[in-house]
Amino acid sequence: MSPALALQGLTKSFGPKRAVDGLDLEVRRGCMFGLVGPNGAGKTTTLSMATGLLRPDAGTARVLDHDVWSDPAGAKALMGVLPDGVRLFDRLSGGELLHYVGLLRRVPPADIASRSGDLLEALGLTADRDTLVVEYSAGMTKKIGLACALIHAPRLLVLDEPFEAVDPVSGEGIRSILRGYTASGGTVVLSSHVMELVESLCDELAVVASGRVLATGTIDDVRAGSTLQQRFLDLVGFQASGEETLAWLRSSSASS
Amino acid sequence: MVALLVRLKLTLLRNGLRRSVWRTVGLVLGGLYALGLVGGVLAGLVALRWTSLEMTADVTVLAFALLGAGWLLLSLLVFGVDETVDPAKFALLPVRARELLPGLLVAGAIGVPGAATVVIGLGLLLAWTRSVPLTLAALVAAPLGVLTCLLLARAATAAFASVLSSRKFRDLAFVLLAMVGAVLAIGGNLLGRLAEAGPERLRAALATAAQVAGWTPFGWAWALPADVARDAWGAAALHLVLALLLVVALWKAWEHYLAARLVEPVEGGGQAARAGRSGWVERLYPATPAGGVAARTLRYWRRDPRYLAGVAGFVIAPVIMIASSLFDPDGSWFVPLLAPALLGLLVGASVAQDLSYDGSALWAHITTGISGAADRWGRVMSSLTIFGPVLVVLLAVAVLLTGRWDLLAPVLALTLALLLGGLGAGAFVGSLWQWPAPPPGASPFQKGSSGGLPALLSFTVATLGAVVVALPTGALVVWSFFTPWVGWLAVLVGLVTGALALRVGVAQGGRLLERRWPEVMAAVSENR
Repeated sequence: MSPALALQGLTKSFGPKRAVDGLDLEVRRGCMFGLVGPNGAGKTTTLSMATGLLRPDAGTARVLDHDVWSDPAGAKALMGVLPDGVRLFDRLSGGELLHYVGLLRRVPPADIASRSGDLLEALGLTADRDTLVVEYSAGMTKKIGLACALIHAPRLLVLDEPFEAVDPVSGEGIRSILRGYTASGGTVVLSSHVMELVESLCDELAVVASGRVLATGTIDDVRAGSTLQQRFLDLVGFQASGEETLAWLRSSSASS
Repeated sequence: MVALLVRLKLTLLRNGLRRSVWRTVGLVLGGLYALGLVGGVLAGLVALRWTSLEMTADVTVLAFALLGAGWLLLSLLVFGVDETVDPAKFALLPVRARELLPGLLVAGAIGVPGAATVVIGLGLLLAWTRSVPLTLAALVAAPLGVLTCLLLARAATAAFASVLSSRKFRDLAFVLLAMVGAVLAIGGNLLGRLAEAGPERLRAALATAAQVAGWTPFGWAWALPADVARDAWGAAALHLVLALLLVVALWKAWEHYLAARLVEPVEGGGQAARAGRSGWVERLYPATPAGGVAARTLRYWRRDPRYLAGVAGFVIAPVIMIASSLFDPDGSWFVPLLAPALLGLLVGASVAQDLSYDGSALWAHITTGISGAADRWGRVMSSLTIFGPVLVVLLAVAVLLTGRWDLLAPVLALTLALLLGGLGAGAFVGSLWQWPAPPPGASPFQKGSSGGLPALLSFTVATLGAVVVALPTGALVVWSFFTPWVGWLAVLVGLVTGALALRVGVAQGGRLLERRWPEVMAAVSENR
């Protein structure tokens, strides 16, 4: 059975800076997959290339046997996407935005109506259905973006930082939605830099730094007896600073 | 602190330029334009030396008072609180408003408008160095006046910061600005009529206007040399006192509001806007991706200030064309009849800027994999929905007013060809060039004039395309002046060629778009 998402040799440079450097990744179907890495590791760039938003310099991205760059229509129909750091059509209300994305996805209008109601209910946005998205808080904006990614019942969900700015209650709501989704055979790829979240939610993960995969496998494989946090720090090469650094900072509380 | 703030402003300016070539080009063009303007004003001020003292007094007072009013108006409407050196950014630092004021004032004068105002203000000396008392008066008036301009802008934006940063106001300001443009155009028109009425009446109007302007706060400082020239020493003393008091009051007010902002940075607030849930917009169009795009853009025509300002801009030009001919009984029938064709052309070509206005929100179109033609066609549909009825009304009004029913066919033919041809050309050109536009609600001048040049280029090419499409129709229209029935042939040809151009533009533009989606995304989201 072909993987839900297969990235091979993905490479992208911005000027002299190589953001993603020959990245290979395979995500099996029905898996909750976490992509973790420090800031600037190339997570967003990788996911943008996997979803057709950014053209790679080299390499391929395949979604359930459809190549994203040679058969974009086929691949995109199977994917639900939540990008990070981009605007939404925020002069629409939450309900209108969902309806809009539903139409773009060719979902029958009757289904759009019933699914919108369900999604807004599940994400706690029912009361704000008619509020313009531009007035939403950061967390609400994430949630309406997630609803947009789900409206056409995709086979693969690609979510960039889906829990950022989301409150704990809504976060738990999103987790249960995602768990139910993978239990029924769907696949989720999400990026995050919160280790605890990935540890508790994901089945498998890949640690990315400087545009490369440093380790990949099940959570237990990667953490190899240690904690995920510690393994992550080891992998990306973090060294705790010694006693001498920022010594002046320590004295400030004593002297005042 | 002054040097620090000035250096900060210069660094921000330099970094902004480094980020985008277009911005550098924009600054250079803006600078050249300002240089031309300043040169012209200075030449005018020198020329005033050869006129009477009375004339010099009236012209300088009125012109410089308008400069002050312009600073107030523009800083409130255009620049808003999007100052490059935003005081709210200092809220976390242990500084007092009093220490910040001089530096912020100087930093505010850096840049094209500030520099131009300082030079023009000092140019007052050119007009008045005719005797010792006049020179002295001008020497006092020029710095006071320039200071008043700069302080007016600072104090007003600081005082109204909370109002200015609300989304509703920024939306409104955008539309108001378009209105101000229209008012200026109509005002120019009126002035032209006044000039035709005779130089004496113009001179009298100037004197009255200068008198009024001199006693507004904008004119207090500038009126000083004018009073001295008239030997009105009482008025001069009063003007001087008022101008000094104004500067002190503005300084104090600014300090007060700045201090308030340092402890309470302004967050955009106000009532959350809600949308009705009627859904009638969706029922206008089929439940397809193209229909969705049409419904969405139709809502944007109503809710996005950039589109609203566009509507105001488009509609005002033809309305002025018709209105000015109303005031002019023996005017030509030609101008109002051209109005519908002009509106059709503008509306069509404006489709070219749609993708840029969407900005990075376009990801929704890209990741859903909709066909490029559906994207193009949806935008064309909503433009036709809004402007189709407007064009019909305009056409009827133009023909009714002029009474030239015999010209209905040629005008209709040209309008159809230009509208449909423009939509087709715009649909194609829009896929070709995109630029990062400021998001809806942001000040259009916030990011310098990036986008100005590509936007102009795309609009020009789309317009030219429409004109080329309309050439055969135009030829038939000319023929119809000699053989009237040819006019109806022109309607047919205009409809067919326009529809053909639209079809080709949508299909080819859509194909181009599908090939270029990632590049389009990169182009529109440069400043996200």
